[in-house]
Amino acid sequence: MKKVVTLTLVLFICLVSVVPALGANGFAEEYYRVVDKPLILDNTDRETLLAKLDEISVRQSLEVVVMITKSLDGEEIATYADDAYDERSYGYGENQDGVMLLIDMETRSWYISTHGYGITAFTDAGIKHIGDEMKPYLSSEDYIGACNVYADKCDELITMARNGEPFDSSDLPDEPLSIVWIPISIAIGIAAALIVVKGMKSNLKTVRKKKEANTYVKNGSMVVTENYDSFLYSQVTKTQVQKQNNSSSSTHTSSSGTTHGGGGGSF
Amino acid sequence: MSVLQEYKCPCCGGAIEFNSATQKMKCPYCDAEFEPEALKSYDNAVQNDAGSNMEWETPAGGQWQQGETDGLLTYSCKSCGGEIVGDENTGATSCPYCGNPVVMMGQFSGDLKPDIIIPFKLDKKAAKAGLMKHLSGKRLLPKVFKDQNHIDEIKGVYVPFWLFDTQANAHVRYKATRMRTWSDSNYKYTETSYYAVQRGGNITFENVPVDGSSKMPDDLMESIEPFNIAEAKEFQPAYLAGYLADKYDVTAQQSIPHANERIEKSTQEAFAKTVTGYNSVIPESTNINLYGGRARYALYPVWILNTTWKDKKYTFAMNGQTGKFIGDLPVDNAAATKLTVALSAAFSVGAYAIVFLLHMLGIL
Repeated sequence: MKKVVTLTLVLFICLVSVVPALGANGFAEEYYRVVDKPLILDNTDRETLLAKLDEISVRQSLEVVVMITKSLDGEEIATYADDAYDERSYGYGENQDGVMLLIDMETRSWYISTHGYGITAFTDAGIKHIGDEMKPYLSSEDYIGACNVYADKCDELITMARNGEPFDSSDLPDEPLSIVWIPISIAIGIAAALIVVKGMKSNLKTVRKKKEANTYVKNGSMVVTENYDSFLYSQVTKTQVQKQNNSSSSTHTSSSGTTHGGGGGSF
Repeated sequence: MSVLQEYKCPCCGGAIEFNSATQKMKCPYCDAEFEPEALKSYDNAVQNDAGSNMEWETPAGGQWQQGETDGLLTYSCKSCGGEIVGDENTGATSCPYCGNPVVMMGQFSGDLKPDIIIPFKLDKKAAKAGLMKHLSGKRLLPKVFKDQNHIDEIKGVYVPFWLFDTQANAHVRYKATRMRTWSDSNYKYTETSYYAVQRGGNITFENVPVDGSSKMPDDLMESIEPFNIAEAKEFQPAYLAGYLADKYDVTAQQSIPHANERIEKSTQEAFAKTVTGYNSVIPESTNINLYGGRARYALYPVWILNTTWKDKKYTFAMNGQTGKFIGDLPVDNAAATKLTVALSAAFSVGAYAIVFLLHMLGIL
């Protein structure tokens, strides 16, 4: 019975489109913050998640949304996500501050679309970080797990941004030390040992031909009579600087003319 | 012509020798001491009245092969009449029978008279101590070499050297580069500027030594350089008493190319040092002329020590003036391998620890 009600509700959500209008609390509140078209999440999970997103959205004054789709109808995931966000008038306040996670089951890819203050709070590095955190859950088809991670990370990143320090690449957790360092360390060790032992061996050899006569220069006898330095030409080469510490958010304009930020990946 | 010279103590008639500690002639029997200069007149008087004592060994039929006695000279000892055998370059030695020090005067007279001599300052004991110090603190030296070390022979030798004085006139052209880097938000720029640099001038060398004895390996003699020429004395045969001495068998002319080589290298280095403020300096053409060249004949004091280990001969040399001790030593290959393995392990762990630390600090 409950399933039928939910299904009807989802159909209703999909079909109905209303002109955006701000509610009393700053949200349009026309659609639920969890849209699960293929009904992948079970009902209790969906309700718990919805409650969680509602709580975060209200507390942070920034709308946090999850959308799961069966297919993208041939569209690019970024375009689809931006349009879906715009169509449903998600977002808080005039600038429609918000963030939406779109998980597409057909292409097995995800995309996070940001808007308004969401662009500031969710930098490219931040989105990459959320993706990295969600990936193990998505790959093992634990979708509710991925959504919970997303919700928690959104809460965290918004708080960081509100405190004046949006998540940037310096906040990315350290990747585990690459295994290539083991052979490199061994190579360095062997090279250093060979140098030291070679030094000790050369310590045993003290008979060497002298090729110079530096000790026999008469003190103060050197007189420099010619001393010319003339400039010939110069060459300038340039190499591109690798950008460090990415704290920027790349943006683009959606089909409806609004500016979105975002990024995604596959699982 | 007097060939053999023994210095007799004017007090007791015993054979006297040069003492490196007191820098005087000392009689080992009555402890009387004399300045080497004081014996000069005595020396001259002896030279005048002595008859020819030179005896050539004549080949005894069938016993000597042709050419075997070439360069072999025998003398008879003035004290005991014993036969002293030396080669054509032996200038001072001691009698194998009575041990009295003798000097072959003919080897250092006329054109063969050395201009200067640096007398021995360090004695046989110092040479032995020098060897012990040379063997200590060397990790890869086979332990048995040190423990079983027997010195076959220690001899104090006056080695003939040619000392070259010259002025070098140099003209050198260099190609030099200077680099400057700066960057903006997108690019790092490197500007390389090329310069033509020219240097010219004079530099004087004094007393560049070249080993004048073919018996002494050149590298061995060059390794105990430098000698302090300020302590050199005018040559007196008396200084040779108690030591071995050779006259030169490599002429000054033959020694010139090696002196030139060393002078040229030092001249290049000295002028290259005046080219400063560049990132790279490459000499393009070098023109060095030497003039005012002059060679002097000197005797330098050297302690030579020989040891044999595992049928291999090891020769050490000590500067008889400064005490600088040199000589190649054998390598304990097993210990070297073990040490390499142990150090490799230790350094590898160390390197990984540093990498890990840098990683923790977020640098890697």
